[in-house]
Parts: sequence; structure tokens; C-alpha cells
Amino acid sequence: MNWGGGGRKLMPDNSAMKQQKLPAHQLHFSARVVLTIFFATGVFCFCMGVILILSAQSIQEIEVCPILLYLFFWYWGLNPGGDVYMYYKLYGFYQNHYRYVLSRSNNQLVGKDIMVRDVEDCAPFKVSQNKTPIAPCGAIANSMFNDTIILSYTLKSSVHIQVPMLKTELTWWTDKYVKFQNPSLINLSDRFVGTEKPPYWQAPIYELDTSDPGNNGFLNDDFIVWMRTAAFPTFKKLYRRLYRVQYFMDGLPAGNYSFNISYNFPVTRIKGEKSVVLSTLTWSGGSSLFLGLAYTVTGAFLWLASFALMAIHMTMKKKKLSYRR
Amino acid sequence: ETIITLNKAKIKIWVLTGDKQETAINIAYSCNVFEDEMDGVFMIEGKDSETILQELRGKMKPESLLESDPVNIYLKKKPKRTFTMPEELPRGDYGLVINGYSLAFALEGNLELELLRTASLCKGVICCRMTPFQKAQVVELVKSMIKAAHIGVGISGQEGMQAMLNSDFAFSQFCYLQRLLLVHGRWSYNRMCKFLSYFFYKNFVFTLVHFWYAFFNGFSAQAVYDTWFITCYNLIYTSLPVLGLSLFEQDVNETWSLHFPELYIPGQHNLYFNKKEFVKCLIHGIYSSFVLFFVPMGTIYNSERSDGKDISDIQTFCLIVQTSLIWMVTVQIALKTTYWTMISHFFIWGSLGFYFCILFFLYSDGLCLMFPSIFQFLGKALSQIWLSLILSVILCVIPAFGYQFLQPLVFDRINHCKTRPPQVRVRTKLKHPSLRRSAYAFSHKQGFGALITSGKTTKTKPNKKNSFPVKKKESSDISTRIVAFQEKSISGVPSTIPLKF
Repeated sequence: MNWGGGGRKLMPDNSAMKQQKLPAHQLHFSARVVLTIFFATGVFCFCMGVILILSAQSIQEIEVCPILLYLFFWYWGLNPGGDVYMYYKLYGFYQNHYRYVLSRSNNQLVGKDIMVRDVEDCAPFKVSQNKTPIAPCGAIANSMFNDTIILSYTLKSSVHIQVPMLKTELTWWTDKYVKFQNPSLINLSDRFVGTEKPPYWQAPIYELDTSDPGNNGFLNDDFIVWMRTAAFPTFKKLYRRLYRVQYFMDGLPAGNYSFNISYNFPVTRIKGEKSVVLSTLTWSGGSSLFLGLAYTVTGAFLWLASFALMAIHMTMKKKKLSYRR
Repeated sequence: ETIITLNKAKIKIWVLTGDKQETAINIAYSCNVFEDEMDGVFMIEGKDSETILQELRGKMKPESLLESDPVNIYLKKKPKRTFTMPEELPRGDYGLVINGYSLAFALEGNLELELLRTASLCKGVICCRMTPFQKAQVVELVKSMIKAAHIGVGISGQEGMQAMLNSDFAFSQFCYLQRLLLVHGRWSYNRMCKFLSYFFYKNFVFTLVHFWYAFFNGFSAQAVYDTWFITCYNLIYTSLPVLGLSLFEQDVNETWSLHFPELYIPGQHNLYFNKKEFVKCLIHGIYSSFVLFFVPMGTIYNSERSDGKDISDIQTFCLIVQTSLIWMVTVQIALKTTYWTMISHFFIWGSLGFYFCILFFLYSDGLCLMFPSIFQFLGKALSQIWLSLILSVILCVIPAFGYQFLQPLVFDRINHCKTRPPQVRVRTKLKHPSLRRSAYAFSHKQGFGALITSGKTTKTKPNKKNSFPVKKKESSDISTRIVAFQEKSISGVPSTIPLKF
């Protein structure tokens, strides 16, 4: 060979990596392993499903569609113990529309850029007709839910008391303390000088809750809850929590209740619907049976599949033996 | 031995040489390009087109002279579009010998097709007395027949480095060809197919989720993922595991690959990645995207957190879908990888861990305060997320897993039952004693040949066993002689062996 020294330099190293001789473990699934995996996964899924279904069944949830505008009588047949949460539920409201989701100014909501100088996404709700910037800008803020829902309990005939509800602690911690911040803690109205409220709003942002500065301005819980856009056209958002005092220490007692709703939010224009939901909760979340059912069905299916696979494997084994013979 | 092994892998050998016919035939027998047990060896020695045509057709397939033959139809009609040679199976092992003079006629016009058709039915083809230009012509002809990519392999010899400089692979000994094809070539094909099917699958899942979401967002093209996730998905989160798979994957180790050359055959017939496999990939991707969308949707649709707070928002939904997707494709590649090196472990589990690190980093409070408009997603993981994730992964992976288990059991079994098992080749008596070559590898004049083959001047063992001692003695010399052959006949044209994959 005429290569000489040059040829040797061109040869690849004799290392394990370059010679494809790395130490390795070869993965081969034998029949026993596969069947065990199927069976074990089936058992796990089935048990998980049963647990989830049981926990979902223990939740009580009532949905009320307010057809009438003002009074609505309801009889609470069961006695839900523990915390009760009140939601408003909307049908056919596409908060997940692409253009809608973009229509906000996060800089403004953090309190940095009230005048919204450099964000075009808020259009057409960026400036008002006389060219003053809108605070908060964008379509999401503009379309905020503004119905007022009051629940009353009939203590005795003709004695109605308002069920005490909390309007704080409705939002995620990170929303309240990081993502939404007021430009200042005091004299909020001064900081919003030179801006206007969104067209559909009745009161400006700094008057959303004048009694509690921690719930005013951008920090208003209802506002923050609304700004967290929903993923699907049918969604419910937390409105109030039960304040467990006086008669309501153990939740809502059995009896007659009524709702008093001021109907502001126009869903009929968008061909949607709205309703109010009262619900208790467990560790696994709401009363949705989906996860529980899905797990149970998957578990059962995996069991069946493992038996079928075992049968196929046995028949193939027998055939192989007879074939060989 | 290399050629025997390559023959077992159904690789056909063509020898293009400038030497005399008898010499070439002797070499072919010594190297097992032709075997004594072959059903026939055809010589094309015609001096004009007509004779050659008759020889080509009549000997191999008498019915090719009929009108109904597809090649005949093509030749009559001469359509504009290119003709694809129909795949034909020979009814035995045949060899073809053609010399340069006949080849000159055979490479023109209509006869080209005939030559191709006849030659592709043969196990081995010897073209002798070829000029370098004819060698190039034959290679071109065969190239057009082979639609898949091919490589040129040069074997360096005593006489120069022309072949090496012009080829894709070069090595010093013919026997290294075995390793190149049966080990590395096979692994390479296997890796390529796994890579392709996995890559298509992972991108189908990634993209088709948006199809399902379109029905729920008013067809407004709202993305299901965070923009940063879309950027990083193919670039960072899933690139390294695929790289590991493509570099290190071995379905069968090298000893077995060399021991069973039949394992090479799926590569020749495109079995591991073809239209059918692509469709399977697509269907798997559609099913996975269906699960990947509807399980998280069902989880958060009418649900809240255990403290009543919102869980059915876009951010949570995106987070669940993203994380489920990453887990799903990671488990899928973990199932596809059969050869687990340390690097594979590092790449696969490392990518997963890296995803979670990036998740916590990108979605942390600090970055959001600094750049509120860019890093919007904040929040924490919840028990429902994990439950939904586990369910989606199980639902996606289990069918593929079951199919992988069933396939060799059920489907291949069915195919096996359809065709009869191949007959074991039994060393029968020689069918063509008239082609029995002389005891010498080289022939000089015709006169001496008859004398020597009559057995009067040498003490040789009986005919049947003759091949083995000859081969063993001269095997080391033969390889260098072949090398020498090829190098001698070069003059500007590299002699490379075109190989059919």
C-alpha cells in the first residue's frame, strides 16, 4: 500500500464511539413483560377512575338559568357542607378567539405604561373617540362581565337575608401579586388622569371597588378573573365565595333561596347564554366526571386487551410448535 | 466468502472487466459469482443486433417474444413517459456472460431494455472485454434501473488510487465490503427509517392538535401552545433524542448481521419506510393528536381547582397540552430505541428534564416582571394536570406498544403461511459439465485448454469436490488478482462495482 503516514492519519479513531461499539443495553420486550405492563396499567387506570368518580359524585352542584330578570325562587333540597362557590357560566362566548386573546396590554396592567404608547394589539379599544387612551385597553377588558348576582336565603316566611359572600381571593396568587399591579397604592384616580374608561363600562377602573384599595383599579378580583381568558366557548368563572358566618357556618342550609340579578351583560346579542352555578369542591376539582370515566374505561379496555393479547400469544405459540413439528 | 455472503443477501454481482472471456468466467467461478449449481449460464456472443436480440430473449424467457409482453408493447408504442421495468422473479439462478463486442450492439436503442431485463433476472453478470467507455455506459444503464440511491466503492490496489479518489467509500480489501453493506449499510437504513417515521409522527401530533381546536375557537387559528414552546419544540426539546437514535441505534448487533445476510433483504425491498408506513405514521399522528386535545379538554372543561379558582383558561390548557405532548413523544422514542447507550439515556431523559427546567424558568415571576408583554404565562402545576398527562400518555402509547408486540406474531405469520418456506439449496450434480472450466485461472491459448481439462496431465480430485480446494488455496491470491484486474484496465474511468441495494 502506498498510503504511508498520511493514510494512518486519515483513519478514524479506534474509540468506542466512532467504531460503534458503545456499551449498551438492548431493549427487547418479551411477551411476559408486555402482558404485565398491560395488566398493571389496566389495574392502575381502573382504580384511579373509580376513585375519581367517587370523589366527583360527592360534589353537589346546581346550575340555575336566570330566565326572569329579577326574582327567582329555588329550593335547596340537599345540604351541602363545606365551602360553597358561586360561578357565572357563559355559553357561546369565544374568549379564545385569536384576535380577542391578543387584545390586551400587559405593560399597562402591570402599571408601567398607563398611557399605552406602544402597543397596537388593543385596537380598536386603544384610544377613545377624542383620542384619549383607554385604561384598561383592549377587547378583553372592554367586554367584562358586569352582572350583579345576589343570593338571598329565606330564614322564615317573609324574612330574607342576604347570604354573605366574599369577593376576594378569587384569583391566582401570581395574577394578583405579579401580573396585575396598580400604578400606585394611594390616590389611584390621580394616576389615571388623562385616560378614559372602556366604552362598555359604566364606571372607570379606579371606581370598581372604592371600599377596598386592595380590590380597586387593576387589582380588582372580578377584573382579574375576567382577564384570564377561557380556553373554550363554554366556561364558568368564579364570582363569589361563601362567607361562613352566622347561619352559614357549615355551608348552605336547606331551605328556600332566591337570586337577585341585575342583567347587564348582553349575551343574546352574541347568541349565547348565561347561568349561575353553585358548587362544592373536592381535591380532584369540580363535578366533572370526565377524568373518572376516562380512566375507568381505559382501565377496563386495557384489561380486555391484555387478555386478548394473552390468548393470541398462546395460540401463536401452539401454532409455532405444530409448525415446527 | 464475501461474495457468498452477499449472494445470500440477494445482492447481485456484476463484473465489468477488460479481460478475455474465459479468464473472466474462471474468475467468476472461483469467486462464487457463478456457482456450479446454477441453473444456467448464458453467453451472448452475437455479432449483430438480430442475433443478440434472439439470444437475449429466447434463452431466458421464450414467451418474451410474444406480443403481450409489456416490454414489447412499450417498444412498439414508444410513449413519452419513462418506462419502469416490471419486477420479475427468475425461476432459478442464472448467469449471463457478454463480451464487449456484443455489448456495443446491446447498448443501443431497443436492445438496451432487453439487456437490462435479461440481466436483472440473473444472479451474476460478467461483461468481459470491455473498454472503459463501455464500463461507464453499463454503469449508467444500471443506474437508471436502480431508482434508489447507490454508492460507489473503490478498492485500492497496487496500481494506483484512481478508484479510491472517485468513490464514496474506499477501503483496502474486498472482504470489508461485507461489513460495509451488511452491518453499516443495514444499520444506516434502519436508522434512517426510524428517524423518518418518528419525525413525521412527532410533527403530525404537534400540528394536528390545532385542527381539533379550530372547532372550538371559532376557526380563528388561535394556537394551542405558548409561542416559546413552538419555537423550542423542534429545535431544543426533541432534537437530541432523535439525534441519538439516528447515530447509535442498532436493531441487531454486528455479529448477527454478518451471520444472517438475509436480514439485508428488507432494505432492498423498501420494507421499513414506504407509502404504507407513512400512512401508518399519519394515522398514529392523527389518533395521538385527538387524544392529546380531548383529554386535556375534558379535564378542564367544566372543572375548577380544589380551592375554587380557575383552571379552564387558555394558559392552563396550553400548559397541559404542551407537557403531555413532550411526555408522549419522549415515551414514543424511548419505545423505538432498542439500543440504549449512556448517551441515549442522557439525551432522552435530559431533554425531558430540560423542558421542565425551561418551563419553570420561562414562567417564573422574575422574567414576567421584566418583560411583561413577552413572558405572560405564570402559574403552578396541579394534580389534575398530572392525571390528565398520565392518561393521555397511556392512551397514546399503549396502542403503538400493542401493535409493536402483535406485528411479528400475527402479521408476519400470515405472510409466512402464504408463501411456501424456501427450499434448502442442496448441492446437486453439475448441470452443465460442458462449461466446466479449466484447472487454471488464466487461459492463454485455446489449444492447451482441451488437453488440460481432459485430466490426463493432472491428478485432480473428482469433479464435485473440486471447487473447494481450488478456492481455499487460491483465495488469498484471487482477491489481489481481482484488485489487480480492475486497476490494470483503468484508463481514466474508475472501475467501481455498481451494487444493487
